[in-house]
Amino acid sequence: MINDNYFLLNVVLLAVGTLIIRGSFIALSGKMKNSEKLRELFSYIPAAVLPAFIFPATFFHRGIVESIYGKERVLILIASGVVFYFIRSTLLIISFGLILLYVVTQL
Amino acid sequence: MVKHFNMGFKAVLPIISGIVPFGAVMGSAFAEAKLSFWQAFFMNTAVYAGAAQLATVDLMSQNAAVLVVLATGLIINLRFLLYSAAMSPLTHDSSPLIKFLCAFTLTDQSYATMTANQNKFNTNTEAVNFYLGTAACMILTWDVSVYAGYIFGNFAPVSWSLDFAVPLSFVALLVPSLKSKKYIAVAVVSSLLSLLLYGLPLKTGLMATALLSIGFAWILIRRKSDQR
Repeated sequence: MINDNYFLLNVVLLAVGTLIIRGSFIALSGKMKNSEKLRELFSYIPAAVLPAFIFPATFFHRGIVESIYGKERVLILIASGVVFYFIRSTLLIISFGLILLYVVTQL
Repeated sequence: MVKHFNMGFKAVLPIISGIVPFGAVMGSAFAEAKLSFWQAFFMNTAVYAGAAQLATVDLMSQNAAVLVVLATGLIINLRFLLYSAAMSPLTHDSSPLIKFLCAFTLTDQSYATMTANQNKFNTNTEAVNFYLGTAACMILTWDVSVYAGYIFGNFAPVSWSLDFAVPLSFVALLVPSLKSKKYIAVAVVSSLLSLLLYGLPLKTGLMATALLSIGFAWILIRRKSDQR
């Protein structure tokens, strides 16, 4: 059981800290000018951040110790990426990946 | 306003299957930590950051020091600083209330969905309205799945591997952002770094990967301008 005051203190500090992180640049957006180079750099953020979610979650989904089991997910992920490149349907790509994984792991 | 808001709302619908299982895990983690419904509601509403909530609830249930809980949560959330910087040119002319809403609702999925659809906007206002639509859909989906997870436990059968929907939905958000070979190069570098840095403590691997990959992108941009 988590103590009420301890919980409240942690959550309030975490909420305020997270809002400051999220709001910092947005709050200043009217007061600073972004150069063209900086805007271009921002356009790289999805390419820089999203793979850092995708690959560890796929490669290490059974933990860092398991080196062989579960690696079918990596292949299915790559296949799904290729299929998405041509079809461009998010719903279809998620269904394709999940069904393929189910077939590979359960049948 | 309504048109782009609705477009944003609908744009998130296909990736809901990646959000629901994560929300259910969060809800069941609240229940396992023996938090009351109102405590879970308060944290989920005030913080609204799944990965950080998951890590800090675990630490709080072990009575970790406040500084450790705070550092862990904020380090995981540091990536929002990048999204905030990238959003700032769009919110330039927005009212303080809209800026607050954009900041408070900033998530990986909302930000990535907006950037994946940026060719559909003619003005910053349209982009912000679209973004708020994505945020509304995200909050609704997240809250429903968290509270369902709190009440019913993690309801999805393990054999469905719904956790895999999360990386799949991110693939769908990543691919449209790879506009040239340079973007692909940054994504490849990020992929490799994320695996190499995965073991870093306090989940700092994610932020380290993001910063190093953006540093690599900066080198590519500088090289291009030097060649002109």
